[in-house]
Order: sequence, then C-alpha cells, then structure tokens
Amino acid sequence: MKRATRPQRPLEWYRDPDGRGFDARLELLDRQMLDPDDVPISTVDDVELAGVEIGSAVDHDQPPTVVALLVGAAVLPRIFGGHMPRSRWDRIEWRHVLRADSVIHINTAADDMDATWLERWIRDRVIAPIPGGRHAPE
Amino acid sequence: MKKIFAVALGILTAIGGFVDIGDLVTNAVVGSRFGMSLTWVVLLGIVGICVYADMSGRVAAVSGRATFEIIRERLGPRAGLANLTASFLINLLTLTAEIGGIALALQLAAGVGPGMWIPVALFGVWIVVWRTKFSIMENVTGLVGLCLIVFAVALFLLNPDWGTLGTQASQPWTQITGNPLSYWYFAVALFGAAMTPYEVFFFSSGGVEEGWTRKDLGTERANVFIGFPLGGMLSLAIAACAAVVLLPKAIEVTSLSQIVLPVAQAGGKLALAFVIVGILAATFGAALETTLSSGYTLAQFFGWSWGKFRKPAQAARFHLSMIICLLIGGGILATGVDPVAVTEVSVVFSAVALPLTYFPILVVANDPEYMGDEVNGRMRNGLAVFFLAVIMVAALAAIPLMIITGMGS
Repeated sequence: MKRATRPQRPLEWYRDPDGRGFDARLELLDRQMLDPDDVPISTVDDVELAGVEIGSAVDHDQPPTVVALLVGAAVLPRIFGGHMPRSRWDRIEWRHVLRADSVIHINTAADDMDATWLERWIRDRVIAPIPGGRHAPE
Repeated sequence: MKKIFAVALGILTAIGGFVDIGDLVTNAVVGSRFGMSLTWVVLLGIVGICVYADMSGRVAAVSGRATFEIIRERLGPRAGLANLTASFLINLLTLTAEIGGIALALQLAAGVGPGMWIPVALFGVWIVVWRTKFSIMENVTGLVGLCLIVFAVALFLLNPDWGTLGTQASQPWTQITGNPLSYWYFAVALFGAAMTPYEVFFFSSGGVEEGWTRKDLGTERANVFIGFPLGGMLSLAIAACAAVVLLPKAIEVTSLSQIVLPVAQAGGKLALAFVIVGILAATFGAALETTLSSGYTLAQFFGWSWGKFRKPAQAARFHLSMIICLLIGGGILATGVDPVAVTEVSVVFSAVALPLTYFPILVVANDPEYMGDEVNGRMRNGLAVFFLAVIMVAALAAIPLMIITGMGS
C-alpha cells in the first residue's frame, strides 16, 4: 500500500470550514449514548459504514456514510481482532441519532430498542424478581 | 444556614469516611515497626489524594461524566480494557479486604468468628446497596466513622513523649533498623493505602449520583481540602498509638486486636467500644464504596445504565455485577485466608494501579470540551504532574520491593 507523504488537498479542505464533518474515530467511537430521558443506552462499540469496500480506495466525491451504531459484542473484534458475523450485530440506526456532543443523544427510549435486549433480559429474569428490585432506594 | 450545615456534614463524613481497613492495618503495622518515621509518606499521600479527588470531583460536577466513561473514550477499547481489568481486580481485592475487616470488627465485638460473620457482612453490604439512598448511606457511615477519633483521644491519654514522636517524624533515617528496603516497601504500601484508587472512582461517580453541578464546586472543595486532611490526621493518630505502645514492646501487628490494643490500654472498655464501632463503620462504609466502585467501573466502561438514584430494575446489569463481586469477595474469604494479609497485599497492588486511574483524569481535566473554563490552571497542573511522577515511581517500585523484601519481613 502506498502511503501519502504529504497532504493531497489544501489544508482548508481538511479543516472542514462549514463544520459539518467530524472525526468518527475521535467523536463517535467509545462515546456514551443517552436516550431522551438521559438513561445510558450503551457505549458506541463500533460503526457500520456504507459506500466503502474493505481494501478499495475511498472516493472523496462520494464519501462513505455511517448507517448504524453497533453495540454489545461488536466491541470484541476491536479489542481482540477477528470478525463478528453480521447476524450478531446489535444495531442502532443512524436516523435515531439526534445530536453528538460529549455524549451521543438518541431519540428513542432505551427500553424500546432491540439493541438493549441484554439489559431487559437481566432485569426480567434476575433483578426485578428479587424483593425491592422495582422500588427506588429510600 | 442550610448551606453551612450541608458543608459541615460533608466535611464530617469526609473525615469519618477517609480511613478504611487499608489505612488501619498499614498505619498500625508501620507505627509498630518504624515509629512515626513514615509520617512524610502519609502527608504526601494526603496532598496527592486531595489534588486528584478535587480534579475528578470537578470533572464530574462540570461535565457530568464519571471517570471510566472518560478513560474508555480517551484510551480506546483495547488499552481501556487493560486498564479496566487491572483497576477492577485490585478494587475486588480491596472489597475482599473490607468485607474481612467487617467480619474482624464483629469478631472483636462478639468474641466469636470471623468465619460466621462473613455472610452477615455480605448481606449487610448488599441490602444497603440495594435499598438505601446514596446520601443516607454516605452520611451514616461517615458520621459513625467519626468514632475513630478515639485513636487521637487515646494518644493524648497515653501521655506519650511528644519529643520522641517528633524526632521520629522529622529524622526518619534514625528509625531504619534491619533491611532499609523494608522501610521503602512500607513507604510504598502506606502511599497506596492513602491514595487508594477506588476513592477517585467513587468520588467522581458519587458526584454524578448526587447530581453535582458547578454550584456545588465550593462544597466539593471544602469536603476535599478540609475533610481529607483531617481524616488523614486520624491515620497518623493510629500510627502514633502503635508507635507509643507496640513499638517499645516489639509487638508485631498481625490482627485487629493488636491495632486496638493501645486504645484499650489508654481508655479501657469505653474506648474499646468506641473504636470497635468506629472500625465497623469505617470498614462497612469502605465495603459499600468498593462494591459500588466495582459496579461503577464496569457500567461506565460498557455504557450501562447505573446509579443508586435509579431503581435496581432500571440498572439491572449494574446491580447484577455488584452481587457477583460480593459473592466473589465472600468466596475468597471463605477459603480461610487471613483478611489482614489480604489487606496488606491490596494496598501494595493499589500502589501499582495508581497511574492507570490518575493519568486519564489529568488529561480530561485539561480538556476544554468537557471542562469549559474550569480546566486546570498552572498551579493545579504543576502539582498534578509532580504527583504523577511520585505515583509512577511508587507503582514501578512496588512489585520489585515486595519480592525482594518478602513483603517487608
């Protein structure tokens, strides 16, 4: 693979003058996601991209887009390497994303999403049946 | 008036909550072997914990984000997971030591045990984590923990030769007998006990639990800069009691009964009752804090819903992980291992883990995206970098010293 040794475009191009692009690696990956009531949903464990093939060059006129945020087991390949089959992805579609600052705001309640099934499973099978599990601490 | 009351309450609970089983055991061991000659380490540790607790409290109050969310964000998943694993395991070891401490305190009160008290301690800690509000939990254990002031009272009742204690503290080199490396081993252990990393996770997560904002920064500073140093004075009183009573008789501290011996000698049964209640409150409070810290670190790293301000059912994975941690801690103690030995190991490993927690906090406290205009000033950064250097030295020296000195023997 040939690495670029100098910037291929003028510096202004990278500076993103209209402020519309952002660095997914810096500002998306590993950020906390909150639902409209500020309930934590998950950390952004990985992102699903469309419009790019692994190993092929990126077409800068039609840049790849983030179509979904992945949560749960999707983080494993980022830590240990390897590959996670698509059937095991827990996805949160990009259209649910409201705003991204120091956290990612999602427009759907945490309980209404398929991706948070594990939290619900543990709640219903383990925690809620224990006496006091459904009461606020006093 | 209400404001003054809140600040005073915060300071009192910070004093009563400062000492845990690690401080108790390590200070008594050090006092009985080296007199007051490690006073400088306790003082250094107190300033260090103040600098970093203040920083993590400020990050929580200004950004609303707790420590481990930020650690993962800054280090990425791989280095973040390595950090989580180390911090979590050491916290689990501390949790085990605190549960053992509760059992030992109950043994001291009841005369039987400690094995049978372990399930009682586990259930007690769990039920408080499950049902009690955060502020009540903190205030009750902190205020009852003030009973440990009896160590300071006992020191005066013992009527020690203050000049000797002063000389030991100001001329530490006169107290080094035997292997000088043992002295340095205990210096690292004492530093680890004073700066235990869980206090930082707990302090910042507690700030989020109590919904701190910029307005609470004054209270936070009062807690840290008044409460922690006064709590640290209790640590010194424990060491001084051991230095006055145990050092001349060459009694080696291997159990809780030796730690409380000077108090009993000075103040009789009444003082003994106070010290047992104080130790019980201190270890129980620290067991709660370490249990919650284990849940906080995991939940924040993986982005789960967490916090005692929620119903347990709304933070299911957080509560399940704490139940599992308590069971693991109980399981380790059920093997019959001596809780005092677990404590001695846990403070040394705490020293190893210190940079893992403290470095990311320093980075974020300088990040305007989170902190706005509350980023660290020069003074704070200077102090923080100095302590980071001290922490690095202690962390690197800890394991070699432990091996060479055979745990200070």
